Amino acid sequence: MREPGRPKDPCDANARATSGVTAVVLAVAAAAAIALPLGCRGPLAPPVPAAHDPEVAPRRGGTLRLASMGDPRSLDPAGPSDALALQAQQLLFAGLVDFDASARIVPDLAERWTVEDGGRTYRFFLRPGVLMHDGTELTADDVKRSAERSLHPATPNPNASAFRGLAGFGAFVSGRADHLVGVAVDGKYEVSFHLDDPDASFLSILAMHTLRPVCRSAGTRYDDAWAPCGAGPFRLPPGGWRRGISLRLVRHEGYFRPGLPYLDAVEWTFDAPVTAQLFRFEDGALDVLRDMSQPTQARFLADPRWRGLGVAEADRTVFGESMNTRMPPFDNVEIRRAVAAAIDREHYRMLKPAYMSTLTQPLPPAMPGRDPSVRGQSYDYAAALDHMRKAGYPYDPVTGTGGWPRPVVYPLYDQGLLAYTAQVLAQELARIGIRLELRMVSWSAFLALQQREGGAAMSQANWEMDYPDPSSVLDPLFGSASIGPESSYNTAFYANPAVDDRLIRARREADPARRMALYGEASRIICDEAPWAFVYAYHAYDVHQPYVRDLAPHAAWGLDVVHAFVDRAGGDLPRHLGSPLP
Amino acid sequence: MRRAARRLLWSAFVVWAVVSIVFVVDAWLPGDPARFAAGPQARPADVARIREELGLNRPPLVRYARLWRRLLHVGPRTAGEGAAADRAHATCVDVLPLGAIAVHVDLGRSFQYRQPVARLVAARAPRSLALAAAGLALQLGAGLAVGVLCATRRGSWIDRAFGFVTPLGLSVPMFFSGLLFQYLFAYEWRLLPFDGFGVTLADHLRGLVLPALTLGIYGAAYYARLVRDELRAILPEDWVRTARAKGASGRRVLARHALRNALVPVATAVGLDLGVLFGGSIVTETVFRWPGLGDLSVKAAVNRDGPVIVGCVVVTSIAVVASNLAVDLLCARLDPRLR
Repeated sequence: MREPGRPKDPCDANARATSGVTAVVLAVAAAAAIALPLGCRGPLAPPVPAAHDPEVAPRRGGTLRLASMGDPRSLDPAGPSDALALQAQQLLFAGLVDFDASARIVPDLAERWTVEDGGRTYRFFLRPGVLMHDGTELTADDVKRSAERSLHPATPNPNASAFRGLAGFGAFVSGRADHLVGVAVDGKYEVSFHLDDPDASFLSILAMHTLRPVCRSAGTRYDDAWAPCGAGPFRLPPGGWRRGISLRLVRHEGYFRPGLPYLDAVEWTFDAPVTAQLFRFEDGALDVLRDMSQPTQARFLADPRWRGLGVAEADRTVFGESMNTRMPPFDNVEIRRAVAAAIDREHYRMLKPAYMSTLTQPLPPAMPGRDPSVRGQSYDYAAALDHMRKAGYPYDPVTGTGGWPRPVVYPLYDQGLLAYTAQVLAQELARIGIRLELRMVSWSAFLALQQREGGAAMSQANWEMDYPDPSSVLDPLFGSASIGPESSYNTAFYANPAVDDRLIRARREADPARRMALYGEASRIICDEAPWAFVYAYHAYDVHQPYVRDLAPHAAWGLDVVHAFVDRAGGDLPRHLGSPLP
Repeated sequence: MRRAARRLLWSAFVVWAVVSIVFVVDAWLPGDPARFAAGPQARPADVARIREELGLNRPPLVRYARLWRRLLHVGPRTAGEGAAADRAHATCVDVLPLGAIAVHVDLGRSFQYRQPVARLVAARAPRSLALAAAGLALQLGAGLAVGVLCATRRGSWIDRAFGFVTPLGLSVPMFFSGLLFQYLFAYEWRLLPFDGFGVTLADHLRGLVLPALTLGIYGAAYYARLVRDELRAILPEDWVRTARAKGASGRRVLARHALRNALVPVATAVGLDLGVLFGGSIVTETVFRWPGLGDLSVKAAVNRDGPVIVGCVVVTSIAVVASNLAVDLLCARLDPRLR
């Protein structure tokens, strides 16, 4: 019997070598066998068919299943917010006014309004009989209570100062007054908002979620433990929100628009990785796929079975290369102009073509009133070299000599697309003699550097419009009032009295045409002085199953779920994937 | 007794040091936690108000003192019948009810979740513990079985197969094996849920299988290698031969003598692993949407949620120290020379 623990022939080097080769071959084969199912999965699963023809009339019932890599921070319109929270809040809470799908202001809880006192007073007449989720009727008292709750100094409301134009705002948020005199109850169904100065953007600001009426259970002060309750088309059932896991909203049967919404419920699965979302979607356990990798998106676009099932949402976010006008070399306007002219925006767009569109001016394409006559910035290599010469740093592309003598530090953080665009930018600027030193930092360090005076000479900045009005982009990004030593909105630290003048006048201008003309003038100046090189606008791209009907993009809120319906053959499939929802 | 007391004191010092270092690092890191709490597009005036509301205007030393002052204290009961709604104890969790009063743990309030950190941690710790225990059980079960088999059948085809399977098990990253299991077990064969924690106990157990398997495969390879190598070193020893010469069966020699000695380093590794796994199997929890401490810690770090970071570190450092303490006791029991 062979003694345990001893090799057969430890001196057989040949055998050991053969065994080593075999092990390597086996290991590679095993690794390939493991990788193949994931890497070479073949074509996408076919779409799950609808029950009826596309022309079928909307029908009630069904659940729309969505997923996200994120997790909403709060469902309270007065609380902290993010893009995902806004989607849910839009379904839970109705406002006095809202945006329609093309971003026009339309009546919602208010059936009409008047503008008085030269634009200083907005008077709203509520629809009688509007029921909140708790069954009580909405009155003007609820509007005032909700506004005061939202703007109270103890409320962690990140948008409160958007309402700083309301009369008595300063006294109320500093605690000197118990009530906000700028919001007045004039009758059971009549409420008025009084401003210190005329503000033509006030209706757009009011259409945000911040002041949307909440049920009486919310009380007069913000409370983290409050269960969201409003007058929107969907309500939150008990236990419907499991933080970091899922959210289920069910139809509010007392919704004031008869027949709407069509869906019984909307469900989100949160913190879902992109691969898991894809598996679920292909399996029919997810109705809309929003988060997907670039290759996955390319596969959907190339697959004829999925043609026509993609929805590009509105371009609401602008991206640009922000140049700190108080730091060299970008304190020299000619250098900024050179950068703006040196960037071929098409090179950026090719990184993610279905999500990006080229941008040459500050306002995103989805912005109502965007002046298409603004020529904006464009790629012109000869002009870029000329601007470098005028700046005093001529660059010779043949010999590669000249240009800005020192590298410019460009901070970036670990976010997929930014890592690519930074490399594109570095290559574009190298062609005019500006060398970028890409420096990877954490997200928090990036924000600190970018928003601090003297923190970063150049960095990528982006802005998603809070509401579809030019003031929501131009004022925070390029108005001198947005400059601060820390947490500066205006990351270029750009101050131009001519731009400030246009922005202030536009806010007060009641005539829409004249107002938009003023924003056009401001945009032209900004494009010429180039505190930012505008590069691309970004939009989400969704793919949905054929049985999801009338799911249309909404210029302000992403997707219009209220008018969508589900027409799935055989009803809802049993859920065998993922965690069941309550 | 004196030795145990010294170990306890040392453990307390380790927890204090780790938590203090994390607190200082978090306080000194660039970036404004209030900006994260408010959102990147919040107006500066709103960020300033939120900073005040979160108490971030107070000096770090004051916040540090508050952390230790409030960590364990006595106050009115906050849960159960007759509990008082005392705002001063709004972020506390009762750990030891004593009639109308209770011993509280207070880790502050999360900037992001706006909930008491102690409550967040208390909800997630059992999930991480369940995952850690299930993963470790699989690791140990499979690792011991394979390790013993390979050591006792040296040179056999099992042993040779082991030679290439273990590097594979150790080198395939967990995010990949997790995805593979999802694809096979959930997508292709539809045997198990894709991910998630679920609602009922049955959901939890079904949801636990794939993440535990992902953890198990990785660790099993490690433990198998450890056991095999230890046994290989022990089996040729004289005292093993002596035991066999005295008539003990091969199984008895293996179980009572060789394996017992081989388990000392295994127990040490288990102690370290248990603490770390409890602190959060970050990749596994993320891939499988398992809402445990790892998932919470990562989000807290990304969002500069200081109280949650510190809360997670308090819990995990206690877990690591406690499991190491337990391992020391176990090793002393396994090997009298260590007493």
